Amino acid sequence: MPKIFEANKKAFITGNEAVAWAALAAGAEIMFGYPITPQNEVMHYWTRLAPEYGKGFLQTEDELSAGFTVCGAVQSGKKAFTATAGPGNVLMQEPFGMAEAMRLPLFAVIQQRGGPSSGTVVYSQQEVTLTTFGGNGEGHRIVYSTATHQEIFDYTIKGFNAAWKYRFPTFLLGDGYQAKMREPLEMYNPEERGIEMVKTYPLVGLEGKIGEDREPQHLCNIYSLEEELYEVVMKFAAEHEAISPELVEYEEKECEDAEIIILSHGVVSRAADDAVKILRAQGIKAGYFRPITLRPFPQKQLREAINRRPARKLLIAESAYGQLDRLTKQEIYGETVAIENLFMPGVGIIDYDIINKVKSIL
Amino acid sequence: MLTLFLFLQEVFFFTQQNTARVVEAYVGEYASGKSEMAINRALELKKQGRNVTLVDLDTVEPFYTLRTLKNQLEKKGLKVLAFSREQSFGLGETGAMLNPAARWALWQEGDIIMDVGYGVLGAQTLNLVEGAYDSPELKIMAVVNYSRPMTGNRERIKKYINSLGRVDAIVANTHMGDESTVDLIKEGNREIFAVAAELGIPIFFQALDEKLRDALEESWEIPVKFIKRFMPAAIW
Repeated sequence: MPKIFEANKKAFITGNEAVAWAALAAGAEIMFGYPITPQNEVMHYWTRLAPEYGKGFLQTEDELSAGFTVCGAVQSGKKAFTATAGPGNVLMQEPFGMAEAMRLPLFAVIQQRGGPSSGTVVYSQQEVTLTTFGGNGEGHRIVYSTATHQEIFDYTIKGFNAAWKYRFPTFLLGDGYQAKMREPLEMYNPEERGIEMVKTYPLVGLEGKIGEDREPQHLCNIYSLEEELYEVVMKFAAEHEAISPELVEYEEKECEDAEIIILSHGVVSRAADDAVKILRAQGIKAGYFRPITLRPFPQKQLREAINRRPARKLLIAESAYGQLDRLTKQEIYGETVAIENLFMPGVGIIDYDIINKVKSIL
Repeated sequence: MLTLFLFLQEVFFFTQQNTARVVEAYVGEYASGKSEMAINRALELKKQGRNVTLVDLDTVEPFYTLRTLKNQLEKKGLKVLAFSREQSFGLGETGAMLNPAARWALWQEGDIIMDVGYGVLGAQTLNLVEGAYDSPELKIMAVVNYSRPMTGNRERIKKYINSLGRVDAIVANTHMGDESTVDLIKEGNREIFAVAAELGIPIFFQALDEKLRDALEESWEIPVKFIKRFMPAAIW
């Protein structure tokens, strides 16, 4: 494949384009998708790049098919992905569930939009619950919540690797703002940064006789025996928990002596970061904590940050009505820090929203 | 070659200045800066005391471009043919439709600046505007930002311009948002000028963020328009 990027050259692009370029850099071979705002340009740019670099694309008849075709493609050993949003994410929960059940290395980009609705296209952070715990399963998934275009690029590459290394469906969770806004970032060939791409491999059609040359490949999404289901779910849960320490990622700033810690994720954390700087300049001891992985959640690290001083309050700020709040509470159950919230579903949160809230509760 | 190119450019400007009214359509790659150029051009004409209509021709996502800026721009004296937030209420994704007034944009009095948003079909989108192709006044401007990877080298720029259909002039809009520098712009625009010269298309102007006005030390051969960026405030 021709070299994709010139070294040290920045580009000015949207978040959706960053996904397409990053998927190319990660060696993705085919995208399956169905158009939905605000992820359309992931598809648009992939279809522009695909012919140049010998890649594939299939627009399926809906999101169910897009999800299932990814499930099929990865079984044949292809590095495949999809991207969706809102009601498309709802429809894809069935194939995502299949990927959970069969431990398929599925990678999907979710550009969150508002709800409840099938047609609302505006920004929101209301697909946290759906992306982390959607479907009729236990949320055995890996979910990265990005905040910048650079991270969209970096974590798309990382997401493919996580999916193929751990064999849990992996998601990059963005939103309408990140999808559409433009900012500079550095695009690179992963190998030149010392990032080794996990080799893909077929899961079906393997050589050798079962029982003699190899163990059977147990790819199953139907468990009719209660005891079998019990065993499978317990095994997946144990494996998911076992890999969590090496998977969790987070960002923490100024929590050492913080009276109040502001917890946010994704694009809102950019406002939280600014807010903490301004509050500190005003002599208010505020700290910043941002889970980058929402699944698995950096619960141990958050507990440590809270208990360092310890902080009196934890302010959870999100463009949703408590989806991050619920996720956090279940993860840090037992902590006695007072939890406050700033819920602004559908509305972007800026530094002063957070500053005003902090001042009203301290 | 450069002399001929500069000559053509002068002819172009001469024609522009002497046309009874200005009718310009801004086309180009997605996120190349079409809306920004169209807004700034419309405001520039308005400042000259002219009657200006700005038309949103985004056929893919008509509610995300000028929508949130409509009221602000109308306060500055522009007539804006675009859906406002209130008008698009409830339409959501099913509302990918052209504002009916945009079809008859050329029937408006005074100058017409058209923002052919999204950039998928280039100048082809103008078939939605009655009389556009027959208009002797219409000038189609292709906006190019060298920092966009799809127009990030000469070969790609050439391929892209050629895919747009009719292009009467090019607007060089190389920039990197808040990380823009005069050197970066100069370097990128130089590549755009080279392609323009090769294709025989004049450069209408090069855009420079007004924040960089002080950093511009020497005068540039190709005319510079200082622009204010409005689109970062158009968050939807």
